[in-house]
Amino acid sequence: MNGKTVIDAHNISKVYNRETIPVYAVNNVHVHLERGEFTALVGPSGSGKTTLLNLIGGLDRADSGEILVNGIDITKLSGSKLIDFRLHNIGFVFQSFNLIPVLTARENVELIMHLQRMPRAARDQRVKQLFDEIQLSDKLNSRPAELSGGQQQRVAVARALASKPQFVLADEPTANLDSKSAANLLDIMLRLNQEEQITFLFSTHDQRVIERARRVITLVDGKITSDTAPVKVTST
Amino acid sequence: MTMLMRMAWRNIWRNKGRSLVIMASIALGLMAGISILALYKGMIHAKVRTVIDRESGHIQLHHPHFRDDQHPAYTIADTLALNQIRQQPGVQAAAARVVTAGMLTTTSGSAGVNIYGIDPADEQAISKLDKKIREGSYFDTQTRHPIVIGKKLADKMKLKLKSKVVLTFVDTANTMVAAAFRVVAIYESDNAPFDERTVYLLRAQLSGLLSTGRQIHELAVILHRDEELDATASAFSAMFPDLRVETWKEISPETDLMVSTTDQYSYIILVIIMLALAFGIVNTMLMAILERTREIGMLVALGMNKLRLFLLILYETIFLTLLGSPVALICSFLLIRYFNRHGLDLSGFGQEMMKQFGFQNLVYPEFPWDKLAGLVMIVAATAILSGLLPALRALNLKPTEALRK
Repeated sequence: MNGKTVIDAHNISKVYNRETIPVYAVNNVHVHLERGEFTALVGPSGSGKTTLLNLIGGLDRADSGEILVNGIDITKLSGSKLIDFRLHNIGFVFQSFNLIPVLTARENVELIMHLQRMPRAARDQRVKQLFDEIQLSDKLNSRPAELSGGQQQRVAVARALASKPQFVLADEPTANLDSKSAANLLDIMLRLNQEEQITFLFSTHDQRVIERARRVITLVDGKITSDTAPVKVTST
Repeated sequence: MTMLMRMAWRNIWRNKGRSLVIMASIALGLMAGISILALYKGMIHAKVRTVIDRESGHIQLHHPHFRDDQHPAYTIADTLALNQIRQQPGVQAAAARVVTAGMLTTTSGSAGVNIYGIDPADEQAISKLDKKIREGSYFDTQTRHPIVIGKKLADKMKLKLKSKVVLTFVDTANTMVAAAFRVVAIYESDNAPFDERTVYLLRAQLSGLLSTGRQIHELAVILHRDEELDATASAFSAMFPDLRVETWKEISPETDLMVSTTDQYSYIILVIIMLALAFGIVNTMLMAILERTREIGMLVALGMNKLRLFLLILYETIFLTLLGSPVALICSFLLIRYFNRHGLDLSGFGQEMMKQFGFQNLVYPEFPWDKLAGLVMIVAATAILSGLLPALRALNLKPTEALRK
């Protein structure tokens, strides 16, 4: 970590059923992440992990509080500006991969760069680099249906990194993977984290993943109950 | 091809069966629309040709008051004008007519008729009356007072060849004149009302009865090319400032109106067909959006803005719509070409009705090349309009909700 603040969220709350019986999915939460962190968000089902990730990722609006990403309060951004902000600053990895089935692995990754209007030469270079990193250079032209779950999730990670984001949010990235694929994916994520200082914040139930996180934030009933200090990872 | 177009193209093939059904329905609908346009074009073309080639000619010249009053005294000089007109460039043929309105009486009844006094040889080049003779011979000179009548009138008045009829009308001095004639031929054109009210005599005989001498009432002109109509009419107006010069459009305004309104009707029919198809396209696209809710939510989450998402859905709709179009164009072109060569017999739909409206039973449809731009615009508008609702539905999806689907 180099001490540069990437995420600084204060007093954020998200309430459902505000008019009838209010349910606090996220209740007055503070999250502070610095560049290069590899943080797990843990907690039982319904504790608000996905909601918190959605709020930090700008996919959902907080009812109160402010979320600063690189100093920009994303709660103040308009809908279209928020979409543009996500495109250039945040990478997403979803539990069920969510690759576009009609696009090849390469096109799935290129899509983000197309949306960013990145020149072709830069796209080609980035695609090559990313597929080398996820060790799927031989699967560039495969459709998602032709890839295993683990391979699809690695492509999803490459897609999340394609835009060179400030940080990557991953919602249960290993939930649909077997143990070998999950370990492989974690190796890749940790290597990217260490070598390229990419910040990861991921929700998980998976104990193997939690064990390899350098920081663990525990969420219960929408509140942070513990936040372990970052620990140095000695091996991957 | 951009990434969005590539995605749209591949998306429409995700459910091949559904896409092919909608493409086939668009192709069939468009084919139906093009066929209607072609049929109307063929019918109208035939109708215009009938009016020009078989009835009025391209241009007619009259005394300025004749068409309003039809009094036999409103005459024009025969030889002077006729010879001048025949020498004009672009003129194929010209004929002089003596015209009056009168009453045709037989033992079984009477009927109002328009009586044309013609020179049989000249008239062949104008109205091709000789080609329309169904019974008898074209102005048999053995008969002293020959008359040629239409089949519709013959049926109505129960007249046959050699039947005797009496024509009554007023001459230039407003004196009632009656004369007997014998039917030498019965003609039949594609215009039953025209056949019912038009009879032909020899010009010299009618002139004698009307006391018009060598004066005539009408000069009918056929041109080599339809395109020379307005220019020639203007030239005639300059040459004969004392005469009323009218084109077939003014002589037969109902035909001109038909020409202009049929195009509009054709487009209206096409729009209705495409509108019906649009519901199918909208339904297909809404289904596609519903099936891909999660995927669309993910695209928005990753940073696809509303314009791009809108374009993605719109491209899919446009591809879906336009893919059926070439098939429709090729199939309808081949179909129309076949019937253009062999004719399409519509007598089964009511031979008499067709004739009542002055249409031929055998129609030669013409491919509506002149309306292709309009067709393309209608199809494109259908595609865009059909894409709007599904695109709006997609735009309104919230990524967090869509991702949960």
